Amino acid sequence: MSTGFDPGAAPRPDVRSEMLLGARSLAAPAPPSEARGITSDLSVDEALLLHAAGWEPLDLVCGVAVVSVPVGVWNWGRGAISLASDAHDQAVDQAAAQLRGECSKVHGHGVVGVRVEVSVRTHHIDVELVGTAVRPIGGKDARGTDAAQAMPFVSDLSARDFTLLQRAGWMPVGLAFGASFVYAPRRTAGTAMKQTRQNVELTNYTEAMYSARESAMEKMQHSALHTGGQGVVEVKVTEGPMSFARHAVGFTAWGTAVRLVAEAHQFVKPQVVLPLDDAVVTFDAESLRGGAAKGRRR
Amino acid sequence: MTDGQVGAAGPGEPGEPAGPAEGAPGTDLPEAAVRRLESTAFSSGLTVPDFAACLDLGLQPVALVQGFCVMQWGWYGQGSGYMRGMSPYVGGPQSAGSYSETYRCPHGFVSNEHRSWGQNLEQPWVEAAWAQGYGSAYQRMIEEATAHGAHGVIGVVDRVSSVADTGTTEFHFLGTAVTVDGGPPPAGGVPWSTYLAGQRLTKSIEAGFMPVAVVAALASVRVWAYCITEYLMEGNMSWGSPTGPHLIEQVSKAHMAVRQLARKHVRQQLTGDELHGATIDVVARELSQGDEVIDCTLRGNRMRRFKDFDQVELPRPTVRLS
Repeated sequence: MSTGFDPGAAPRPDVRSEMLLGARSLAAPAPPSEARGITSDLSVDEALLLHAAGWEPLDLVCGVAVVSVPVGVWNWGRGAISLASDAHDQAVDQAAAQLRGECSKVHGHGVVGVRVEVSVRTHHIDVELVGTAVRPIGGKDARGTDAAQAMPFVSDLSARDFTLLQRAGWMPVGLAFGASFVYAPRRTAGTAMKQTRQNVELTNYTEAMYSARESAMEKMQHSALHTGGQGVVEVKVTEGPMSFARHAVGFTAWGTAVRLVAEAHQFVKPQVVLPLDDAVVTFDAESLRGGAAKGRRR
Repeated sequence: MTDGQVGAAGPGEPGEPAGPAEGAPGTDLPEAAVRRLESTAFSSGLTVPDFAACLDLGLQPVALVQGFCVMQWGWYGQGSGYMRGMSPYVGGPQSAGSYSETYRCPHGFVSNEHRSWGQNLEQPWVEAAWAQGYGSAYQRMIEEATAHGAHGVIGVVDRVSSVADTGTTEFHFLGTAVTVDGGPPPAGGVPWSTYLAGQRLTKSIEAGFMPVAVVAALASVRVWAYCITEYLMEGNMSWGSPTGPHLIEQVSKAHMAVRQLARKHVRQQLTGDELHGATIDVVARELSQGDEVIDCTLRGNRMRRFKDFDQVELPRPTVRLS
């Protein structure tokens, strides 16, 4: 039971008086303004957290690229489908360049919380990136303002993760992407017949899939190094057959490339907390009838 | 509230609806709505935690309010005048200042079927029709709230959906009308509105942001493909089309343009305020021969800063032992 006494807690603002203050601000007509309104897809929590870390949102920015996939690429074949991988890489690069361009236009130093949408179609690959351009409050950046605006970072980390990363002495530098498309390998008719009643590993399948996954990840790491990163965090891996070509399988891997900007990694020293709101053990009528359970957690 | 200006007018600004609608002639609320609004019981669409947070803020829920509008789409088809221009040198039927871009074929005359030029064309008539439907539904919800003497509407939920198989679209708004304990009515009597409720609304208020209105806009761009776009989108090999992966410039630009237009339309409604918690939805319908219609909806909370922001202390990272 709460005693209502919490000596460590900061005094909480009186939300009712804040609400009244807000309501009064709308009681009078708004003065005409030429200010360029800020747009952002951040939640309230994210905006507050960013502000606490010394950053502010500027604008909702996006980058889209549609790149063609040449005819015949998805036809039956063997090994990697390199033209599809190239198309994917090109689409991501173009979309990221557009996102950076939009960010620079509003004098942003980076884009956080980027939502990545990739759609692979028969004849084209579409990539859409949407996020919020941000900059340090006051515009001061360790990289230098001009450098930061010339090459803003792009990151799919949430504002929370971005804040934590920065606190640990690291900064995002860009999105790292890798994709690999392969034809599902085929066995000869004889081999297929022979293996019909066997429990055996299909080594050609294993090798093809293994190799394609590794290839996607390798490309992602290469792209991280290319953007000046030392590593990649929050890696997402997707895989699956193409809906329009079931004999082809696509693997993609992407994450945020990061670089250490402090002299050394800063330990964030998290505080260990033990929540006291454990599940309550309650009386269970079943236990009276010889049930094994003595109590039930709720 | 029409002409693409959904929720644009905040309290006390031009474009606001005139006066309370209760008992006023000309109100288009259904009779059942008027009877319900006259009831002494309050109703709300808030969850229990949101309801508790609402009371904590000094907001008294007065009624669940809603607004509808069903629109028929008659933009396309035979007899529609909404086509691209008659030549690459003439724009489409859009109003001045609308986005359009023309692409010309590099081949010269090939045949009558050859797509010797193409256009990306903003469709303001689509945008205006959407804004009319969305704006009317919003307006009706605000009318219901005004009839209750509400100061604001919180926890707004909006939905745009097809009505069965009738080729019509329904716009639906739902929210909880509230009054502010001891607070003045908004300028002009127009209630403010927000998608937020509960703790998220409380945090916004504590951070110094007061909701003004929900804002939304649709941007629509039609792609009339020219030959190269057609080849690339359809996977046809032809003279002049690249053999390797190639950026499809016309379609990429249309996709960028539709998003930028949606942002521009919404920004016009902000008049210096801020847009928080924006969501962007894009629907692209591939037609044929590389043609596409791309619609982009952007919506969010228009917020006004009413006090200087107190920077919160950077939260301490924690690890739970359970």
